[in-house]
Amino acid sequence: MAVVEYKDVSRIYPGSEIPAVNTLNLTVASGELLVLVGPSGSGKSTALRMLAGLEPANEGSIHIDGADVTDFEPQQRDIAMVFQNYALYPQMTVAGNMGFALKQRKVPKAEREAKVLEAARILDLEPYLDRKPKNLSGGQRQRVAMGRAIVREPKVFLMDEPLSNLDAKLRVQTRAELADLQARLGVTTVYVTHDQVEAMTMGHRVAVLKDGFLQQVDAPKELYHRPANRFVAGFIGSPAMNLIPTDRIDGKVTFGSFQVPLDAQTEKALASQPGVAFTVGIRPEHLQLVTSGIPGEVKLLEELGSESYIHVQVQHEDRDQILVVRTDGDATVSRGSTVNVGFNGPVHLFGEDGLRIE
Amino acid sequence: MVEQQRIEPADNGTSGKGGGRARKSSFLSEAWKRRLPLLPAFLIVVVLTQVPFLMSIYFSLTRWRANTAEPREFIGVDNYIDLVSNSFFWSAAWNSILMTVVSVGLSLLFGTGLALLLDRKFFGQGFARTLIITPFLVMPVVAGLVWKNQMLNSSFGVINWFIEGLGMEPISFASRYPLWTIVVVLVWQWTPFMMLIILAGLQGQSSSVLEAAKVDGANGVSTFFQITLPHLRSYLELGALLGVIYLSQVYDHIRVITRGTGSANLPYFVYLRSIGGGWQFGAASAYSIVVVIFSFIIANFGLRVLSGLLTDEGA
Ligand SMILES: Nc1ncnc2c1ncn2[C@@H]1O[C@H](COP(=O)(O)OP(=O)(O)OP(=O)(O)O)[C@@H](O)[C@H]1O
Ligand SMILES: [Mg+2]
Repeated sequence: MAVVEYKDVSRIYPGSEIPAVNTLNLTVASGELLVLVGPSGSGKSTALRMLAGLEPANEGSIHIDGADVTDFEPQQRDIAMVFQNYALYPQMTVAGNMGFALKQRKVPKAEREAKVLEAARILDLEPYLDRKPKNLSGGQRQRVAMGRAIVREPKVFLMDEPLSNLDAKLRVQTRAELADLQARLGVTTVYVTHDQVEAMTMGHRVAVLKDGFLQQVDAPKELYHRPANRFVAGFIGSPAMNLIPTDRIDGKVTFGSFQVPLDAQTEKALASQPGVAFTVGIRPEHLQLVTSGIPGEVKLLEELGSESYIHVQVQHEDRDQILVVRTDGDATVSRGSTVNVGFNGPVHLFGEDGLRIE
Repeated sequence: MVEQQRIEPADNGTSGKGGGRARKSSFLSEAWKRRLPLLPAFLIVVVLTQVPFLMSIYFSLTRWRANTAEPREFIGVDNYIDLVSNSFFWSAAWNSILMTVVSVGLSLLFGTGLALLLDRKFFGQGFARTLIITPFLVMPVVAGLVWKNQMLNSSFGVINWFIEGLGMEPISFASRYPLWTIVVVLVWQWTPFMMLIILAGLQGQSSSVLEAAKVDGANGVSTFFQITLPHLRSYLELGALLGVIYLSQVYDHIRVITRGTGSANLPYFVYLRSIGGGWQFGAASAYSIVVVIFSFIIANFGLRVLSGLLTDEGA
C-alpha cells in the first residue's frame, strides 16, 4: 500500500527538443488502480518507465510512500512491472520466472516455493510450473507475467499495455480478472493502455495524456459526462463524440436553423466568453431520429445487432457535417434516405481554446 | 494446408481411382523434372569429394613410399596398427587436443569479455570494433611470421624488449615454450571471431528481459550469470564448435613458428609423414582417415548444436 506522486516531472529524450512527458503532476492514492490512457506517442510508457526507474526524469521528482525515489535504481524502488511483451526469462521455468525476484532477495527456498505456489493457484498456473515460457499460450504467458509481479508483494504494480497481445475475447475476460485481482490484493497500480474502453472499465480513475501533457484525471464517469476539453471529449467514448465547429450568432449557439439547447449554467458561462468560434460536442447516444429536426441524408449504417450507428450528413453553416446517431436495436432507415436528427441529451460546449465552457 | 487436407478425400470420392493414380505419377515426374537439372552438379560433387576419400581409404591399406622404387603393396590394417603403437602419433594427438581445447577455451573467454565491453554504446564504438576484428582477418601465415619475429624474437621482438626493459633475461619463446607460443597466437587470432559470435548473441537479447531483471532486483552480476549467460549458451556452443573444427586442423602457424618441434599436432604429423620428408603416403593416409573420423564426430555433434540454436529461442 503506497501513494505515488509525480511532481512537475518532465522527460526529454536525448536528441529531441520536445519533452515526451511535460511537467506531469499526478497523485495515485493508496490501493488505487489508476489508468494512464492516450494516443500512441503521448508519453504513457515514458511516464511509467520513469516511475519504474528505467528512464531518468530530467525535471521534477517522483515519490513513493512519501520517499523521494527520483534517483533510485529500479532495484531499490520495490515496484513490480508487467511488460507489454511480458519479458519472461526464456531459459527459466514458470516457477523460476515467478520466484526470480524472491531469489534475488535471498528469500529461503521453502518460503519462496510456497509463495510461488500460492500465486500459481490464484492464477490457475499450477499445471504449468515446470514449463518454459515458449511452451505456453499467449494468455498463459500473460498470467505468468502477472504472477511474477504478485509474488513480490511490491508497493506498486506497473503495467504497460499488458493485454494488448491477447485476442479480443481473452482481453475482455482478462481485463475483468485483472481488475478483480487488483482489488483483492489492494496494491496501488498504474496501468497504461491506449484502449479507452479498457481505461473506462478498469480504472478507479483515468488520466488522459496527449503530447506529453496531462489533459484530465477523473473517475471514468466524470470523464464521460464532463470532459475537460475537446480532446478528452473526442477520445473518451465509443463511437466518438460528434464535435461540430460552430460560430456564435446573436449571442446564441445555433445548429442549422436550430438553437442548441444549453443548460442555464453553460448559458451564463457562455455570456462571458469573448470568442465567436466554438465546438459543440454531442454524443451519438444523445442524438435521435425525430419527425421534425435537422434534416440530413443517411450516408452509412453500422449495425451491431444490439445497437446501430447511423451516419447522417447534415448542412451546417454552409458545410457538410457528419453526425453519428446511436439507436437501439436495428436501424429502421436505409442508406440514402432522408432523416431528421434531434437532441436527446446533454450538449458539451468547448471554447476557442478547446476548454470546456460551463 | 488444413483446407487442402479436408477437401482432398471428397475430391477423390467423386473423381474415382483413375484420377488419383494419374495425379500420383504426374507428381513423381514433376519431382524428377526438378531434380534432373541438379544431377550433373550432384555427380561432380560426389566425384570430387567422395572419390578421393575412397582412394585415401584404399591407400591407407597399402605400403606406399613415394621416394623409393618399391611398388605399392596391399598390407591390410598394418598402417593402423603401426599408428596406435607409435608414440609420436600419440603425442601429436595429445598436442592436438591440448592446443585446440586451450585455444578455444581462452578465445571464448576473452571474446565474451570483449563482447560485453563492446555491447554498450560509447564514442568510437564502430572504430574499436573494427580494430578488434582485424587479427581475424590476418592470414595465418602472416600472423605466424609477425608473432615469431616482430613480437617474440629473442633479440629484437617487442615482448623481449619489454622483458629486457624490466631487467630480465630475454626469453626465446618459440623454442622454450613451442606449444604455448602457438596457443598464444591462435588465441590472438580467434578471440575476435568468438567476440563477433557472442556480440551477436548479446544484441539478440531482448532489452525488456534485462529491464525486467532490474525491476526484479537483480544486480549486474546476477543478471549476467542467471539470464545473459544461459541466453548465450547456444552461441558459446556454436563458437566452441567452429573453433574446434578449425583449430584442430591448424597447420600454418606450426609450420611458420616452430616447424613442429614440440608442437606438432595431427595434421602436422600427417604432413611430416608424407610430403614433409617421410614420403610414407600409405601411413599418412591412415592418419588422415583417423583425423577425418574425429572431425566427423565433432561436426555431427556440432550440427546438433546448430539446430538447437535455431529451435531453442522460439519464445
Ligand atoms: N528511447 C527513446 N528515444 C527518443 N525518443 C523516444 C524514446 N522513447 C520514446 N520516445 C518518444 O517519446 C514520445 C513518447 O513515447 P512513449 O513511448 O512514452 O509513448 P506511448 O504513449 O507509450 O505510446 P504507445 O501507445 O505507442 O506505446 C514519443 O514521441 C516517442 O517517439
Ligand atoms: Mg507505450
